[in-house]
Amino acid sequence: MPNVKIQAVMRSLIKVWADFATELDNVPLINKLLRGKFRLEDYQELLINQRQQVIEGSRWIARAASSVSSEYADQRSLFLKHAVTEHRDYKMIEANYVATGGKFEDITQAEKNIGTEALHAFMYQRATEPNPFDLLGAMFIIEGLGQKKAGAWGEAIKKQLSLQNEQVSFLLYHSTNDEDHMRQLETILASGILDIERMDRKIVKTAKVVARLYQLQLEEMGNV
Amino acid sequence: MSVGNNAIMNDVFINSLGAFLPGNPVGNSEIENYIGRVFGRPSKYRAASLKQNRIQTRHYAINTQGYPLYSSSEMAAEAIKAAVKNSEISLNAIDYLATSSTLGDGLVPGLASHVHAALNVKEIEIANFQSVCASSLTALKSAYMQLKTGEHGCAAVSGSEFASRYFRPGNYEGVESYQTTGEIPFQADFLRFTLSDGAGAAILETKPNARQASLKIHWIDIRSFADRFDTCMVGGAVKQSQNWKCWGDFGDPIAAAKAGALLLIQDFALMKRMLPVWVSHYLDLIDKEKIVIEKIDHVCSHYSSHSLRQEITILLEQAGAMIDEKKWFSNLYTKGNTGTASIFIMLEELYHSGKLQKGETILCHVPESGRCLNGFMLLEVV
Repeated sequence: MPNVKIQAVMRSLIKVWADFATELDNVPLINKLLRGKFRLEDYQELLINQRQQVIEGSRWIARAASSVSSEYADQRSLFLKHAVTEHRDYKMIEANYVATGGKFEDITQAEKNIGTEALHAFMYQRATEPNPFDLLGAMFIIEGLGQKKAGAWGEAIKKQLSLQNEQVSFLLYHSTNDEDHMRQLETILASGILDIERMDRKIVKTAKVVARLYQLQLEEMGNV
Repeated sequence: MSVGNNAIMNDVFINSLGAFLPGNPVGNSEIENYIGRVFGRPSKYRAASLKQNRIQTRHYAINTQGYPLYSSSEMAAEAIKAAVKNSEISLNAIDYLATSSTLGDGLVPGLASHVHAALNVKEIEIANFQSVCASSLTALKSAYMQLKTGEHGCAAVSGSEFASRYFRPGNYEGVESYQTTGEIPFQADFLRFTLSDGAGAAILETKPNARQASLKIHWIDIRSFADRFDTCMVGGAVKQSQNWKCWGDFGDPIAAAKAGALLLIQDFALMKRMLPVWVSHYLDLIDKEKIVIEKIDHVCSHYSSHSLRQEITILLEQAGAMIDEKKWFSNLYTKGNTGTASIFIMLEELYHSGKLQKGETILCHVPESGRCLNGFMLLEVV
């Protein structure tokens, strides 16, 4: 018997994703990439932004895990596992940045742009709420980017800037593992969290907010 | 409904379907005998194109010398006549004609005038729909609304394409950039091995057939996503420093031709990016309960199930939106991709296949990469 409630959440998330993915193509930075006009400094700026994203990401997931009550211990461990994976990623981004001629201090000390500030402030706020499973909506959007966009961006950047794999490894590496992530999401949605009142709607709403704020941070590149 | 409480809305039925495919089926090895060899050489992308579209046979309205045997309007009229022949009406019962085509027979006037002339029936209302594949559904929707509101009682709707006339070598060999490279790019060549000629038509009435099955139209839902996509399939313009330049803006048509502004081309990377919004449209119809997956018995899609399978099966499964592949019906592989004509040609074959039972439903889907248009239609066999 298929779970009708899970399917409805999945449909809504996919719809949010479709709007987000198509609007993203019109963000100046991404549009430049699609037009074949990317510069090395555009890529470096994107890497700086991704590093902040990844570092903050593992932190808010960890905080979210600590907001999960004991009756949801299984779901909490899933959150924690996630934070560990993300934790390794930022070193790869730093290596990519340095491999393209950037200074290590520049990427580690870069200030967040105003969109990034807004995105992470929202994430921490949500992560502090009790049992913040609506953040699954955020994860759906952010992981969707990794799976469906990062690979294509990475290939385009590599080609346009004549880079080697090791200079673009973060974006290229992230495009794998699509199926696993989708199955994981389904598992956690099926684990009883949708019995929490209005959680289905909260997941979708958080996905919408995160999609909008994620777009904002890409629009506000350099606006610190 | 905004038309007022007293308005009586008619039910609308597709009561007959007709198809016209010119000449004999042309196999993959014979394609270039018809559309020719650009710069006198076999196409570099022929095998790749055919592998991707999986088409086995198609029809052409030109002979092997490139001479036209029918016009697009003549093929449309033949398809309508075939539909009438299969129907319980006679030709003069038609009082509304809606035609659809990607490229008609001339720039002006619209194809509908020529189709009306070719049908040789009394004065009727006509409407011309021109876009790419999905204009079949925009034409159908106009006829559906005309009949639903009681404006007319019987409509003919056609889709017709004569793509091959634009695929002959002469259309490409004058393009300066192709002369430099000595070949044409994949985005132009792929279409030469994908699109072919033919016409299909439907007869719509406000009452069902007395003697044979009818297809009741439940709804037609069409959405444009041009707000977020650049042009993907283009004819009559060419991109110059990031802007589209129309063939009329070159000063003279020869300059336009040299710049490649008179060709049909398609941007594949862009088309791929359209998939999420097509899927999103479909999921939205499920959420609105216009589509109930368990109640769909047949799917006629202009989009092939194998391309869909590769992209998004998992997503659709999890969203409870997957329709069993056994329910998919398509004849794109044997009758070719005939653009606006395809959905009619598909329905015509399905209608006469003996597969339809009373009470069953047919979900039709026509996506259009042109500038991202997408349409669905739900039919019920009555």
